[in-house]
Amino acid sequence: MAAPKADIDIDRSAGDFSYPEAHTFDAGTGLTAATVDYISKVKDEPEWIREFRQKALEVFNKKAMPTHWATKDLDNIIFNNIRYYLSRGQKPSRSWDDVPEDMKRTFERLGIPEQERKFLAGVEAQFDSEAAYSNIKKAVGDQGVIFVGSTEGLKEHPEIFRKWFGKVIPTGDNKFSALNSAVFSGGSFIYVPPGVKVKHPLQAYFRINSENFGQFERTLIIADEGAEVMYMEGCTAPKFETATLHSAVVELVALKGAKIQYVTVQNWSNNVFNLVTKRGLAMEDAEVKWIDCNIGSRLTMKYPGVVMKGPRARGEVISIALAGNGQHQDTGAKMIHAADDTTSNVISKSISVGTGRATYRGQVLVPKHLKNCKNNTECDALLINPTSRTDTYPAITVRGAKNAMQHEASVSKVSAEQIFYMMQRGLTEGQAMSLTVNGFVNDLVRQFPMEYSVELKRLIDLEMEGSVG
Amino acid sequence: MNQSLVIKDLHVSIGDKPIVKGLNLEVPKGEVHAIMGLNGSGKSTLAKAIAGHPDYTITSGTVRLDGEDILGLEADARSRAGLFLAFQYPSEIPGVSNANFIRAALQARLGEGEELEAVDYYHRLYEKMDMLEIRRDFTARSVNEGFSGGEKKRNEILQMAMLEPSYAILDETDSGLDIDALKIVAHGVNTLKGPNLGVLLITHYQRLLNYIVPDQVHVMMDGRIVHSGDKSLALELDEKGYDWITPAELAAA
Amino acid sequence: MSEQTDTLLTADYADTAEARDATRIADEPTDVGLPRGLLNPPDAPSGQGLPDWFLTSRAQAWQSFEALEMPARTEQAWRFASLGKIKLQAYHAPLPVAGEVADRLIERSVGNTTVAGKMVFANDALLDRRLFSPELAAQGVIWKPLEAAVVEHADLFRKHFMVQEAVLGSQKFAALHRAHVRTGTFLYVPKNVEIALPLEVFHWLSGEAGSSFPHTLIIAEAGSKVTLVDYFESDRSEETGFACAVNDLIIGPGAKLTYVCAQNWGEKVVSFQINSTTVERDAAAMSLHLNLGASYARLESLSRLVGAGGRSDMLAATVTQGDQEFDQRTLQDHVQPHTTSDLLYKNSLSDTAKTVFAGLIRVQPEAQHTDAYQKVRNLMLSDDAEANSMPGLEILADEVRCTHGATSGHVDDEELFYLLSRGISHKAAQELIVHGFLNEVLERLPDAHATPKLGALLAEKFARMKRQQSPAA
Repeated sequence: MAAPKADIDIDRSAGDFSYPEAHTFDAGTGLTAATVDYISKVKDEPEWIREFRQKALEVFNKKAMPTHWATKDLDNIIFNNIRYYLSRGQKPSRSWDDVPEDMKRTFERLGIPEQERKFLAGVEAQFDSEAAYSNIKKAVGDQGVIFVGSTEGLKEHPEIFRKWFGKVIPTGDNKFSALNSAVFSGGSFIYVPPGVKVKHPLQAYFRINSENFGQFERTLIIADEGAEVMYMEGCTAPKFETATLHSAVVELVALKGAKIQYVTVQNWSNNVFNLVTKRGLAMEDAEVKWIDCNIGSRLTMKYPGVVMKGPRARGEVISIALAGNGQHQDTGAKMIHAADDTTSNVISKSISVGTGRATYRGQVLVPKHLKNCKNNTECDALLINPTSRTDTYPAITVRGAKNAMQHEASVSKVSAEQIFYMMQRGLTEGQAMSLTVNGFVNDLVRQFPMEYSVELKRLIDLEMEGSVG
Repeated sequence: MNQSLVIKDLHVSIGDKPIVKGLNLEVPKGEVHAIMGLNGSGKSTLAKAIAGHPDYTITSGTVRLDGEDILGLEADARSRAGLFLAFQYPSEIPGVSNANFIRAALQARLGEGEELEAVDYYHRLYEKMDMLEIRRDFTARSVNEGFSGGEKKRNEILQMAMLEPSYAILDETDSGLDIDALKIVAHGVNTLKGPNLGVLLITHYQRLLNYIVPDQVHVMMDGRIVHSGDKSLALELDEKGYDWITPAELAAA
Repeated sequence: MSEQTDTLLTADYADTAEARDATRIADEPTDVGLPRGLLNPPDAPSGQGLPDWFLTSRAQAWQSFEALEMPARTEQAWRFASLGKIKLQAYHAPLPVAGEVADRLIERSVGNTTVAGKMVFANDALLDRRLFSPELAAQGVIWKPLEAAVVEHADLFRKHFMVQEAVLGSQKFAALHRAHVRTGTFLYVPKNVEIALPLEVFHWLSGEAGSSFPHTLIIAEAGSKVTLVDYFESDRSEETGFACAVNDLIIGPGAKLTYVCAQNWGEKVVSFQINSTTVERDAAAMSLHLNLGASYARLESLSRLVGAGGRSDMLAATVTQGDQEFDQRTLQDHVQPHTTSDLLYKNSLSDTAKTVFAGLIRVQPEAQHTDAYQKVRNLMLSDDAEANSMPGLEILADEVRCTHGATSGHVDDEELFYLLSRGISHKAAQELIVHGFLNEVLERLPDAHATPKLGALLAEKFARMKRQQSPAA
């Protein structure tokens, strides 16, 4: 017997609720140097961070919107209408019992405490600007694993934090990394000591509850030599009338022989601008793998990258994007080979439904005088309706004669014959469509942890239901 | 209630072009009927139109399953009403395993809140697979993807066995089969044959009818049934071809 | 962290003010004492009876040229391009060649052995024109230099001349061409006329710092068939120069055009080519670019499929040496349903050479049942060569079959070893493999009469490369 539906009901509509706001700290609307100082003061941060933020604000103000290559929809973000920091001054609780009632109910409805009990090594649950809950299983903590919020990380573990913070993704990487660097709050800091292999995933859940709000979490994960860790994040927001901004920066550092897997299942509501910069650094023999599923949002721009800095480092991006009606999923991958014998692999599958648009943008770079670097990129796009759109824009730069790069892309549609065949077996058109789409992404879904692949399948089913007729 | 598949004065067009032009046929439950005819006589059009393919327009006539008119139903509802079509060219569905596909089709036949019992399902599936000499690794393979002609046709019969229709139309099921595969497929159909199933075989070779013996044979020409007879008609057609069915016969039909 | 990696970590390293300045075309004279070259307005052409509209359009084009921004590498259409190699003030407007030079160039204009006609130009002046098949004139084929066609076939000319705007980045250079163009080829093939042998056109650049603006306008009417080959050559390989060629190829319903361009300018020339092909219902276009010359060669090739059943084959074979840069931008624009396009661009890269390929397949919303393919392959022969590939898709219809692929690889060690084991030297083996690699492109050319010369040009290029690699020999 299948589990009752409510058990795994993390679907699109399930995220569409919010509780009344009750913020103690509110940076107000708009972004100035005073906003940045306010955030830094409320968070009681050291001076170096305040300076870091102020410099980042200058960079942000100077940088133009990247609309010369990206969608003009970015111009619809009104930075002055956004609220940059909202919290109740809560410290992340170690127990759900200490989490304020409405926040606790929010995460219960999203199934977080239950998942924690079932299969997670640690959970952090962020509500608007700050984490409401952060806990790690004792056995994992005893191994020396640090799993805290970014604020706690920079205050309590400055010797590790400062060494890598802003190093994988410099402030000026792009306009939105600069924005995040100026106003970041929340997100995780993780350190896994040498040789420690964290068996179960660590999970973060990012929840936007307030209208006109911008969420800017900052995550830094360091896996020391030979360490292994898997991190998963989920994200939802209710459907508001106005645009909401989510702009995270995630930096991963995999030292010699370490392995980091970073899994994202996002399910933003259709009013969210989701503009995220994610990059990992893989040293000698290390591996960084991004597993990324993008569903929902108005516009997602996200190109997880791996800089392979040590010999034999490996980078991988597995990406599924589903662009529903009116949505634009502009996703891809960035693979920078900076040492010999490095290997990268990108597999991207996108589905465009209704007026949805899925864009793949990729960059592969092999600089001079390297040997035995390999990249393989495969992009497959599936189109559901005549109004659906897909684009592919890769850029591959190879210098030297000792490397091998390969890029392939294809576009196909669900054929009428396929659908008829399935309908002749008794499936409705919607079921037939769902089955086909699930089949299309099936080989990638298998790479997700089991609990997430179930959720993913349900999300796809829900999106496809509205695609026919 | 009339326990038959009854087709009355059926007219089918593709675009503006009439293909089936006033066809009458009755296949009672428990019987096997064969339609034979040359390429272009409209046999496959008939099969797809009855199954509800959107490219085929039924301009007039009726098709009834046990008295119920099915022409107002979508393709999936016709299937759930008990009609099965074994395709001449079954579609490939990448990434969807055979086991999941058949399971989804069975699930679609259950009421709201009912769930298919997994253990029973696999038990039945393996039993039917054994009958059709299908290897176990088949369940995990994608539907028809990379299948040989014989594997595809065996898969069609397997689905028929699992879905237990009241009427099955087998469209050129013998095409693309070598003699060994043909025997396996015929064995499958013969096993499923019985008082609760009416079968309409569409073929233009007699050889399938050596293995699946029909109760009646119909000749289709230019969109109509022009001649009917018992199983000996198939042999006669095989021997003499179709030319002996004269225009006079056509007119009389 | 090292300096180098920090740069690598930066996403848009081209997107910095310094990079922008460094890559912006130097559009100011560096030395006040020098003439401003191509940055001066061109003199009015001396042709007899040129229509007013043509003269006006030249003047307007010059204004557009001056008004348009110089491209910068931050623009997608110029990503990875080394714009610093373009210095327009360094060249003078086309100057006529002396009589003995003209005689020499006519003599050197040897293409394939059996051709239907030939024209020879040097520095944008017609030197020689022949039509070897006299029956063609009787069939209504028009084969004239541009300056004659603009007067004698004014309506036809005006209807098609540069009607298609440049869309792949070189709007400014298209304007420069229009402001300067004096001559070129006008070819009109009437309905159902088939020209069995290729027509050949030679454009020569002669003199240090010269310039040329070759134009080719072909109208193939319904059911006609024709092959035209353009050769771009330099009188002396050591001379610098600037060339900016534009063509308009219009292929009527059911017609078939094969267009071949052998770009063999001297290796100090800066070359622009802006091609636009319009493929009507059931028509077939094939273009093949053999790219051998120039220091910086920009090729923009647009193929528009505007009628159902149309097909376009876009081919290019590029051989680089030294620090040559080939910057290729293509667009397969599917406007109408049931159209097919197939692109194959191959680059072999030696020394410190660089290639850029940016190709886009665009399927417009109405263009259901499109079949479109695009493939770029880079054969890397040197540790200092650089290949940039940007194969793109923009699909706005759903009933389509579109695939693209890009590979960059090196000579297969096994393949090389096999040849060595047969006693072939390392260099010869490598050359054989490169030949084989490029032949796949040349073999797609259906017109056997047009191929021998391409093979010869390729062999010359390999010989040049060999000389450069071993200057002592």
